[in-house]
Amino acid sequence: MTVSAIEFSRLGPSKLHLFAMKCSKCKELSPWWERSHCYKCGHDTLTEFELAGTGEITNYTVVYYPPREFLGQEPYVVGHILMDEGVTLPAPVMGVNPADVEVGTRVAATLRRMKLGHEGDIYYSYKFVVDDEPAPKKKAPAKKPTARRAPAKKK
Amino acid sequence: MRVGVLGIGKTPHKIQHEKSLKDLAVEAGRKALHDAGVSPSDIQMLYVGNVGSVGFNYENSTALMVAHHLGVVPAGAVRVEAACGTGAWALHLGCVAIASGLYDTVMVMGCEKMNDLATVEGTSIIAQAADSKEEYFSGLTFPSGTALTARKYMQAYGVTEEDLAHTSVKNHYYGARNPSAHLRFECTVEEVMNSAKVADPLKLYEVCPMTDAASAIVLCRPEILEAQQSRPQVYVTATSMGSGTWYQATDSLDDGYNLFARPAARAYEMAGVTAKDIDVAEIYNSFSIQEPLGIEGLGFAKQGQGWKGAKDGSTWLDGKIAVNLSGGLLCKGHPLGATGATQAVDVIEQLRGTAPEGTQRADAQIGISACRGGPGSVGAIHIYQREG
Amino acid sequence: MATLTSYGAYVPQYRAPLGEIQKFFGRPGRPRSRALATPGLDEDTLTMAFEAAREALKGERGVGAVITATQAPPFALRKLSSTLARALRLDDGAVHIDLGANATGLLDAFRIAATLDVGPTLVVATDHLVSYQARVADVLSAGAATAFLVDPRTSGFATLGQQARVHDEVFDVWMLGREQEPRFRMEVLFNAYAAATGRAVTALEAITDRPTGRYTSICPSQPHPQVLRGLARVGAKPEQIAGTSFVGDIGNVGAASVGLALCLGLDASRKGSNLLALAYGGGEAVAQDISVTSKPKGVDTRSKIDGGEPIAVGTYYRWIEGRQQSPH
Repeated sequence: MTVSAIEFSRLGPSKLHLFAMKCSKCKELSPWWERSHCYKCGHDTLTEFELAGTGEITNYTVVYYPPREFLGQEPYVVGHILMDEGVTLPAPVMGVNPADVEVGTRVAATLRRMKLGHEGDIYYSYKFVVDDEPAPKKKAPAKKPTARRAPAKKK
Repeated sequence: MRVGVLGIGKTPHKIQHEKSLKDLAVEAGRKALHDAGVSPSDIQMLYVGNVGSVGFNYENSTALMVAHHLGVVPAGAVRVEAACGTGAWALHLGCVAIASGLYDTVMVMGCEKMNDLATVEGTSIIAQAADSKEEYFSGLTFPSGTALTARKYMQAYGVTEEDLAHTSVKNHYYGARNPSAHLRFECTVEEVMNSAKVADPLKLYEVCPMTDAASAIVLCRPEILEAQQSRPQVYVTATSMGSGTWYQATDSLDDGYNLFARPAARAYEMAGVTAKDIDVAEIYNSFSIQEPLGIEGLGFAKQGQGWKGAKDGSTWLDGKIAVNLSGGLLCKGHPLGATGATQAVDVIEQLRGTAPEGTQRADAQIGISACRGGPGSVGAIHIYQREG
Repeated sequence: MATLTSYGAYVPQYRAPLGEIQKFFGRPGRPRSRALATPGLDEDTLTMAFEAAREALKGERGVGAVITATQAPPFALRKLSSTLARALRLDDGAVHIDLGANATGLLDAFRIAATLDVGPTLVVATDHLVSYQARVADVLSAGAATAFLVDPRTSGFATLGQQARVHDEVFDVWMLGREQEPRFRMEVLFNAYAAATGRAVTALEAITDRPTGRYTSICPSQPHPQVLRGLARVGAKPEQIAGTSFVGDIGNVGAASVGLALCLGLDASRKGSNLLALAYGGGEAVAQDISVTSKPKGVDTRSKIDGGEPIAVGTYYRWIEGRQQSPH
């Protein structure tokens, strides 16, 4: 999307880094955009928690009709990556034939160009590439991608 | 709650290069006024739903523009926006206005003109209805974000792409019979499976087109409609709105279920009915996977089973509960701000008995419309009842 | 004495079909390189530098200085070295130095690193001088990045020895201000390269008393296969450059060229090896003596060069067009 230079100054630097937000109350990790709201317990104080960069794909799609900034790169894979620290992030997975990607594929983060701001500069941020290294021995328990809350009960 | 539906009107739903956003809104508004038998000066408040005119049309202040050109000035007018749930939200605010007792007659409208720009531009603007700077920064768009939900559903319940394809077959069967639909052709499961990939696993016949349209409804105090027995006695008997997650990455299948299930529970209670009493349903399906999810959220099927009705006939015209006899958003398209209002118009036509030939449910008395918006952020349920 | 303690190399995975590109533009002659290592649309000299640096750093953050050398920074008015340091989360307070101008930058950076007294220095040479249309058949433009950790205090696996430098005024390859692509006279380049590197190695021989022919390997910057042939004139033996040649495989990687040759030389070296790093650019030549004191942990640079995924000529041009619209 277009973004002004002022907005870029506000948002740009943090995008160079791969981090999650750690809740000061329940200690769970939320994605990096939850700066004032813990997804797990709703608490309002979270701090940056650096991620090592490795994880596995728990879900993915293949984009054939990209937004403007990704024109020329299609078809590309966008996955939900369950990082080894236990938080799930959406991110592109590059340099791989989409047919070779499946749920469970291990990936590692790297730095790539994301887009040009319309008034701002070049946004760089993390994308993932397939990782040949085996998973680390001590892994956070993999969270199931579905049931988290009980279904609604009629009042 | 009981809000009278005095009149309805909608434009064709398709690419209409010859009409501007203003033209579409005025056309729908006039049709509704004419159907209601009232003049613009009878409208005491105007709610105009529109999502993306700043991006698509380089203009803002949609409600003020429509109020002027429709002639409802000096009544108040305000723009309503809640992502793809906008049209349903306009309807909700109209119902609340009548139910509060402050207004006798109001108009609610949804309008959108998406086709002045190329697809890639339009897709990027639609993405602003989700978090384009954070989550969609990863190269996602609405189709690809929803494709992730489709794969999650398939994984969780062992459903195949072919199973889901039946939803498109059903929607296209009725869309072909709806003169105001954007896409009017039938298709087979094989044709759905062979259609071009848009965002794996979603294919061309499983995603909605970009459409220009407007739909409008004149609402009134129930006494006003009761006094006009020659008019179809259709009332809105429940309006229930809720919100959900703003991010697809942390959206679970249960979250998706609750997005409808929670407001639906309140809506059934408000209207004094249960899921079993519903004859027709318009369920938001800009992407085919959302129809099974909506069927489950409204209580018409258990979680993981909602896709079956399109295959076994139970959600077709003569089935247990007819879903999307209009052809759904898959065929009508998804003019963002108009959709929720169009769903209401389509249910009301079913209850009035004026739906297009081949799509009219016999003796439809109670209907429901379920609209959603954002990555999983808006749940909007309305129930309608025909009396007499 | 400044030593090398670690190194890394990154070669983008895509290989553009130079032969087909030439045919497309009706250019005669055999393509001078089998393919061109082409960065993806979402890659540039910063992202490649990041990859190479990460391999060299292996998680280390305590770096006293970052020096980047490139002829193609993706942005001006801000330092590439600073942005790289921020992306790598290096400690605050490091010195950030950007070097540009020509393909000798890596060896200039080694010279600077040897004099800084700030702890380990990360030196990165990264480049992708994009050429458009028919020009690429001559300029062989490709992209790559190499990174080295230089430490004047601890003993690494190799010692950075003496340097000899010469410079002439030559118009072989040049670019004005903010022009989009370089101008070139290849025949002038071939002669100037041979002349300048010849004088540089002769000068280095005089300083070190080691004849050019006695180095275990010579690691030269290589904009074109022709300049490698010319090295015979300066006393290089074929076996000294066999293992460090790559321009005929993946093309001209600009400021990263001498770095990539050096990575190849280091991968094959062991205790007691002597390497001669040799860089030329814009009339200037630098010759650097490097002594390997213990076998380094290699980074298999040859596999990175030999691997790679072919892309169609149409894909290559779709990307080039994309680069022209958002220059990088």
